[in-house]
Amino acid sequence: MKKTIKLLLASVLTFAATFAQAQTAEEIVNKYIEVTGGAAKWAELKSVKMTAKGKQGGMEFPITSLQKAPNLMKQSVSFQGKEITMSAFDGKETWKTNFMTMKAEKGEAEDSENAAKSMDFPDPFLDYKAKGYSIALEGEEKVEGTDCYKIKLTKKPIKVDGKEEEDFSFYFFDKENGVVIMNRSVMKKGPGKDQAIETLMSDYQEVNGLFFPFTVSQKMNGQVVFSMAMEKLEMNVAIDNKEFAFPID
Amino acid sequence: MKKFTLLSSILSLSMGVFAQEALPIKGDEIFGSMRARHIGPALMSGRITDIEGHPTNNKVLFAGAAGGGVWKTGDGGVTFNPIFDKHNQSIGAITVDPKNPDQVIWVGTGEIWTRNSVTIGDGIYKSTDGGQNWTNMGLANSERISSIKVNPNNTKEVFVGVLGALWSDSQDRGVYKTTDGGKTWEKIFYVNASTGCSDLVMDPKNPNIMYASFWEFRRTAYSFNSGGENSALYKTTDGGKTWNKIHNGFPTGKLGRIAIAAAPSNPNILYSVIESEKDADKGLYRSEDAGASWKRTNGDFELVVRPFYFSRIVVDPKNPDIVFKAGYNGSVSKDGGKTFKAIGGGIHADIHDFWFDIHDSNRIYLCDDGGFYRSYDGGSIWDMAKGIPVSQFYQVAIDNQTPFKVYGGLQDNGSWVGPSSKPGGIENRDWISVGAGDGFRTFPHPKDPNIVYSEMQGAENIWRINLEKNSVKTIKPFPESNDPKFRFNWNTPITTSPHNADRLYVGSQFLHKSDDRGETWVKISPDLTTNDPAKQQQENSGGLSMDNSGAENHCTIFAINESPLDQNIIWVGTDDGNVQLTQDGGKTWTNVTANIPNLPKNTWAYFIEPSSFDKNTAYAVFTGYTSGDFKPYVYKTTDAGKTWKSIVSPDLKSFVRNIKEDYKNPNLLFLGTEGGLYVTIDGGQNWSQFKNNMPPVAVHWIALHPTEDALVMATHGRGVIIIDDISPLRQLTKEIIAKDLHFFTTKPTKMAESGAFGGYARMGEFVGENPNSMAQVVYYLKSRHTFGKMSLEIFDQNDKKIADLAPGKSKGINYVDWTYSLKPPKVAKGKTIIQAGFQGPTVLPGPYKVKITKGAKTYESTLNLIANPKSIHTADDRKVQFETAMKLFNMSEELGYLVDQIDNYKIKIDSISPKLTSTKLKKQFPVADIASKMQTLKETLVVLKGDNYVGAAEPQLREKISGLYGEVLSYTGRPTNAQLASMKVLDEKLSAAKTQMEGFKASLDKLAPAMVKAKMPELKVRSFEEFKAAEN
Repeated sequence: MKKTIKLLLASVLTFAATFAQAQTAEEIVNKYIEVTGGAAKWAELKSVKMTAKGKQGGMEFPITSLQKAPNLMKQSVSFQGKEITMSAFDGKETWKTNFMTMKAEKGEAEDSENAAKSMDFPDPFLDYKAKGYSIALEGEEKVEGTDCYKIKLTKKPIKVDGKEEEDFSFYFFDKENGVVIMNRSVMKKGPGKDQAIETLMSDYQEVNGLFFPFTVSQKMNGQVVFSMAMEKLEMNVAIDNKEFAFPID
Repeated sequence: MKKFTLLSSILSLSMGVFAQEALPIKGDEIFGSMRARHIGPALMSGRITDIEGHPTNNKVLFAGAAGGGVWKTGDGGVTFNPIFDKHNQSIGAITVDPKNPDQVIWVGTGEIWTRNSVTIGDGIYKSTDGGQNWTNMGLANSERISSIKVNPNNTKEVFVGVLGALWSDSQDRGVYKTTDGGKTWEKIFYVNASTGCSDLVMDPKNPNIMYASFWEFRRTAYSFNSGGENSALYKTTDGGKTWNKIHNGFPTGKLGRIAIAAAPSNPNILYSVIESEKDADKGLYRSEDAGASWKRTNGDFELVVRPFYFSRIVVDPKNPDIVFKAGYNGSVSKDGGKTFKAIGGGIHADIHDFWFDIHDSNRIYLCDDGGFYRSYDGGSIWDMAKGIPVSQFYQVAIDNQTPFKVYGGLQDNGSWVGPSSKPGGIENRDWISVGAGDGFRTFPHPKDPNIVYSEMQGAENIWRINLEKNSVKTIKPFPESNDPKFRFNWNTPITTSPHNADRLYVGSQFLHKSDDRGETWVKISPDLTTNDPAKQQQENSGGLSMDNSGAENHCTIFAINESPLDQNIIWVGTDDGNVQLTQDGGKTWTNVTANIPNLPKNTWAYFIEPSSFDKNTAYAVFTGYTSGDFKPYVYKTTDAGKTWKSIVSPDLKSFVRNIKEDYKNPNLLFLGTEGGLYVTIDGGQNWSQFKNNMPPVAVHWIALHPTEDALVMATHGRGVIIIDDISPLRQLTKEIIAKDLHFFTTKPTKMAESGAFGGYARMGEFVGENPNSMAQVVYYLKSRHTFGKMSLEIFDQNDKKIADLAPGKSKGINYVDWTYSLKPPKVAKGKTIIQAGFQGPTVLPGPYKVKITKGAKTYESTLNLIANPKSIHTADDRKVQFETAMKLFNMSEELGYLVDQIDNYKIKIDSISPKLTSTKLKKQFPVADIASKMQTLKETLVVLKGDNYVGAAEPQLREKISGLYGEVLSYTGRPTNAQLASMKVLDEKLSAAKTQMEGFKASLDKLAPAMVKAKMPELKVRSFEEFKAAEN
């Protein structure tokens, strides 16, 4: 581990020298991909299985997250030996476990259609042009006391309560080392509509040549509402598509 | 260089022993994750100046507040979110792009309802992402923007009406145009330096036709003038190239403020409300030929009242004869302006704007001095939005109750007392009214929690309120036989004394003192003002419409403070620029104004803060905005006013209204500015804006809690905002900020007691945030932690790890919450989920070790928990509670292990059962029978069917233990005898089950040697320790 950090620091230092001049959104994103492992290495990544500890309001619980190219995902927590899927997408439909009955229920059709448009793996910035996304540099902003470039990523339009809307959010790239340390998005529907969620990334660590943020926290209105610390990250493990499918009793 | 060091050391000596070196850090780097919380209230809301809708989606509306930013609703006015929190909070006009309404929104800053307390804007802003991000597009000196019109055929072309400066001449007025979406602006129409564009209207069908009303106006600190030769209504038909007066039918002579509206359904029909010289021709005018001629239709009170405050007329988009007029109460005409009726009651007075639903004209929205309202019946009945906390406090005070209460007075919304904390959050209903009219200074009696002092405008009333008895007594001072008339400021200073709890001060032009709660008053000063007769002509104020409300009263005392170190030292500041000091309790006074360097004459002495470290030291802030001077003026004296030094740095961007010195570190100062809160940690050499959940709203007053270290701000537009613990800021030194990580010394955490019921607000109602009741680990990080591992652990007195927390990683000060509870028990698996599995017992008071591991380095500190000193529980109660909770915790885990063993035996036995083929073998190894008996036992231990809601099954032992455990945890004192007895009963049942289990295990153990012989796998299950350590 120690070696990893040293290596990383060295690459960050050399990188910092060149990064200071980076100006365009494209350069910033390219550097990010480079510093986290390089496009070729990212392209080899087909699946990720993570186990983590989640923390919310003083509670702690194990989380399992499965992701598979092109856009399959499932996040589950375990309470008292019961596995509860908080969110899953099988490529067509979203679903999750109802806490009262402990049975799976499908998401609204619109949400599934939106997920099909906006979910991607492993990183939205990889081949963003080919995916039909666009990026724009929207200036600089401080995040957690750190100078960052602010990049707007616009995906394909989604539907919100039947109406087509732009799907965009903001990513903050640490000017010093080039990695993303925050994403800011706004809730599109529901009681929290229009409220911003900030997702902070830290504890970047290397796994087989790729760098992942091992801690991800979510803040609303400046307060941490959820935090997740990775314990194990496995790459390119075989995950059957059935894992993501809506369970049939 | 050496010389400089010497000089600066001399300077710092003269600044007193506490002076320190400038600290080379600013802003985010100091504050890190230190954060403000908003407690509103939204009960009375505050002045909202403009409403704007979306051209196609009737659920989307925007409300612009006088001092509280822009609020958006996406649900037709039920819930609102602030969307302009990083920018100037005073809103003049909001406009949605007609072609790209989901993306492009324009906001012109600077309120245009030019009352005495109005503030200033800083230009025009544009969002291209529906309001998430904003860019200032210029017109920086516009001060107030009245209208923004976008050409629907070419949305890069935008016209802006700039009303401009209120207190001074300015060239930055008139009509501006951009053709490139706001990158560049051209002033296309200008009248003169005292006349601005008060309204700009675009023809609904033809964007080349526009109407612009121009208003000649001026305010000073002591007068207001509306009207002149230059007020006029203009029309262009060529997109703003040429403008012509359209006054055919208008009154002659000087005109004042003119409102203008075009009927969307018939652009030839125009309405204009005119302020003029003669009462007989003031009022509403209508044109049916697009302004070629006008006819006066009505001059009722609502049509002519206070034009500077109410010049707005709004026409139904579908019916050109339905017109709403803003006003004192507002009125509506259904016959094209001939006759009017009052709109429904039950709403706050002083209406500023209306908006019709685009699909249904019976749905109307309005805004006034008391918030945002919606009507579904064409404007008879109105329903208030209770979730827009834009209350405009002038002042705030706090008391020493636990939790402390907050007191303050508001623009046109009385005076209030509310809690700083409440179970479930601080709701609108938690605030108590302690004054009527406009509220200003409101103070609790320093010792008697039932007594509150408050006032209304111009000291028309000063009240002493007994909250317990619900009684109010008017206690203002009156002139004695030889006294001249008393002059009271609109915002009359009242204050209490740090030395004598029954003392009260009030300022007119004299300082009045009472030592018996306001029953008797003694005048303890001569006239302390300049007493300039030229500034005392208020009965002539207003211009074309007389306006002598008291708002312009001048040559009055504005600031009074008694030194906390010596009751004979009293500082007084006056609105006409005097700073006066007495050091003998009022016998003699010294005017020290002339000693203040670089301060323009007659600059309003807004606040004086006597130091709590040294009686010769004081801070004074001045505002010159009422003469158009927006510079910050902050001074410090250390020799009782003989010399003064400016402590302004270039960091300060706007004018200043209040200053607060910390009680423990004299270099820590807090500054209330028109653009938010600024803090210095080096005695004013550098100032940093505090931005964490703190908009750049005008901060009119700051209170600091002497023991809780909470900084409480009266904002003029966003209610009361609190930063709960500023104590880490006291500790910042050059040495600390050089360290990679530094733990701050924190006060022992008073452990929270179990609360009562609370929290019943429903959707759309504002609920103020409570203070954090958790223990906090507070540390400074030199840089953000982005790479590698970082952990934060808590250990008990036996060095046993009891908690893993998610560390904060911000550069600057980090706060990490700890709930001071143990991890929850590992409970039995069942069909359902139980509460016990989510809760751990609260630990006992005492020291706990904090350990941060960051990369290869570790850092340690101690966190102290203490029982709340006001607790109703004894140490013994707490111990019984903890021990009971731990006993039930252990019972839960023992039961969990019991079930775990049964489950694991079942798996093992199931796996060998197929091998037991013959009757003989089955008889020799009756494991299936044992497994079946275990299963029967399990059914009494844990629920194996049903769901987590109404399909719940009959509770078993797990559920009963969990229920009792939850009850015991929910009360931080001694459990009831019934609970203790119940625990005993459940424990007996658990013991019986364990005994039964031991019997089964003994039976299996007996079979073991024969099974080994028969080459059967061993029937062994995991240990209790293995069970505890496992994830599942």
